[in-house]
Amino acid sequence: MTEKKKTETVTVDQFIARPPERVWAALTQPDLLERWWVPSDIRPEVGHRFHLQMPTWGPQPAEVLEVREPELLVHTFADWTLTWRLIAEGRGTRLILEHSGFDLDNPQHRFAFDNMGPGWRDTVLPRLAQLLESD
Amino acid sequence: MTETDVFAALANPVRRRVLELLMESPRNAGALAEQFDLSRPAVSEHLQVLRRAGLVREEVRGRERRYEIDAGPLTEVGAWLSPFEAYWRERLSTLADILEEEPRS
Repeated sequence: MTEKKKTETVTVDQFIARPPERVWAALTQPDLLERWWVPSDIRPEVGHRFHLQMPTWGPQPAEVLEVREPELLVHTFADWTLTWRLIAEGRGTRLILEHSGFDLDNPQHRFAFDNMGPGWRDTVLPRLAQLLESD
Repeated sequence: MTETDVFAALANPVRRRVLELLMESPRNAGALAEQFDLSRPAVSEHLQVLRRAGLVREEVRGRERRYEIDAGPLTEVGAWLSPFEAYWRERLSTLADILEEEPRS
């Protein structure tokens, strides 16, 4: 068996025309988080363990790793890590999310990879990956 | 080749369909053109965009041009392209919409 540990990170950023404090609240208050993502019992407190109620996978365990209000929140999400950075920009906030720890050799990650996102990439990318792996 | 070229190339539905067809098997330009309600020069132009982005390889065989997929650039930008990225883009854009619907102060 070959040891091949290569993890990937997905980074997405979004400008929001509201100050970092407002964005922070939307990331750390369950009632607000639920409005744009999923229900949870999140609390911005290092060491707090909580669950994110994902629609198809069910509750996923999470733990808060770093809190620097209102600029940095790091928490685990299943066996990934989500790093949320909030940077004041003009009258708004640049929100940068890093979703790290993707291990494409892990069947669960593969499963998630295949099932989480919408669009043609769901089918095309895995097929491309197969194509490359069969080379 | 830059990422922008790849994404510009992928932004078009005809070009995505071309890639899907080429994933099934390499094809020549004529066979590809038959799949679309477009003129052959229009399909050729799409193929050239894909070729310049490094997504397809072109091979001239006699009078025919044969195309096959080259997934290299897609794997280079795999993280960028992943369904997770699409997923988060959509979620964060919803977040922005929700917050921006509320009054500023």
